Amino acid sequence: MANMTEIRSRMKSIQETMKITNAMYLISSTKLRKAREKLDATAPYFELLQSTIKDILFHSPDINHTFFDQRKKIKPEDKKRGYVVMTADKGMAGAYNHNVLKLAQERLAQGNDNTLFVIGQMGRKYFTKKNVRIDMEFLYTAQDPSMWRARNIAETLVDLYRKEKLDEIYIIYTKMVTPLKAEPEIIQILPLKRQSFEEMNVELEKYHKIADYSPSPKVVMDHLVPNYVKGLIYGALVESFSSEQNARMMAMQGATESAKDMIRELSLLYNRARQAAITQEITEIVSGAKAFQKK
Amino acid sequence: MGKTFYLEITASDRKFYNGECEMMIFPAIDGEQGILPNHESMVTAVKTGALRFKVNGEWKEAAVGDGFVEIMPEFVVLLADTVEWPDEIDIRRAEEAKERAQERLRQKESQKEYYHSKAALSRAIARLKVTGKHL
Repeated sequence: MANMTEIRSRMKSIQETMKITNAMYLISSTKLRKAREKLDATAPYFELLQSTIKDILFHSPDINHTFFDQRKKIKPEDKKRGYVVMTADKGMAGAYNHNVLKLAQERLAQGNDNTLFVIGQMGRKYFTKKNVRIDMEFLYTAQDPSMWRARNIAETLVDLYRKEKLDEIYIIYTKMVTPLKAEPEIIQILPLKRQSFEEMNVELEKYHKIADYSPSPKVVMDHLVPNYVKGLIYGALVESFSSEQNARMMAMQGATESAKDMIRELSLLYNRARQAAITQEITEIVSGAKAFQKK
Repeated sequence: MGKTFYLEITASDRKFYNGECEMMIFPAIDGEQGILPNHESMVTAVKTGALRFKVNGEWKEAAVGDGFVEIMPEFVVLLADTVEWPDEIDIRRAEEAKERAQERLRQKESQKEYYHSKAALSRAIARLKVTGKHL
């Protein structure tokens, strides 16, 4: 049986750790609440954005624009693909980072010419170690997503796409499927695919025919698509951020729970050790006294 | 055929306005554009600027960011990065932003920076315009 001071110091150290995990739990739960509010506030915008774009595409099947150019001349294995990977800035969030990175790794294996745009320190560290090509000027944090950041990111990406430095652009992020479940997801941002909008089953009945683009379809698309990309990135940032906080909250809750369990077990051991020590002392005293009496 | 159409204005962070409207004037790519009920269906882009719409004979003003608008005979959907009422705008902040942008424009900047500064300037001017403090 371990000795009492040992057990006591162990309990103390677990208690300290528990304080930290508990504090992190509280912090991430408040952050999560804020992130959720943001997510709820943006949701109507995204639904409308997607349904409107879908509607526009639906009614203009013959639009010929760079943003719709699938660049079929280039063989699929030679395409220059860009991936925006959204990870957290720190760990302690269960499998959150791991899931995103795993999906990214799988996708990277499919092509030869990949460029990564990593958001968040965890992902950047991971891919630097693996010697994958990362755009080093692309430095953004995953904390507190803002429209301003989304605007800069979208601008960089659209620019690279237009200059044909990238042929396809994807986002890998974590989606909040239900308030308790988050899953890594991959979406293609450019070029726009018609069926990808149809998959996003947004209600269509509300919208009918569109007669005109003012001043011309090209000009409208030039403005509309970067705007759409920006909105999409903003949405993904918000989703990722709230998934991260959610994952961290759950992980820290689990950690606090197991710390409590360990303390419970250790205090049992401690009491037993204490009891044993007392019993031993009594036996010693009694036997000593007896030996004295016999004399 | 009523004298109003249904107007829906949504910003990236909230639903801004939902309701009947008699007329709307928004900043399009090539100048301001007015919409009356039973307008021909159309899709166009919105530029940063001042948006005006008339509800019950009363004009309302707001500052809009970049976005786009879908116009149908019975309804209009306007989607923009930001939409703000005049009383939500911090005038001093907008003035500072305007000066900052003008200062940056005087310096030699890269093309990208130049566009950023110009966009920032037009946002600041749009905000000042709807608060009535601009010239």
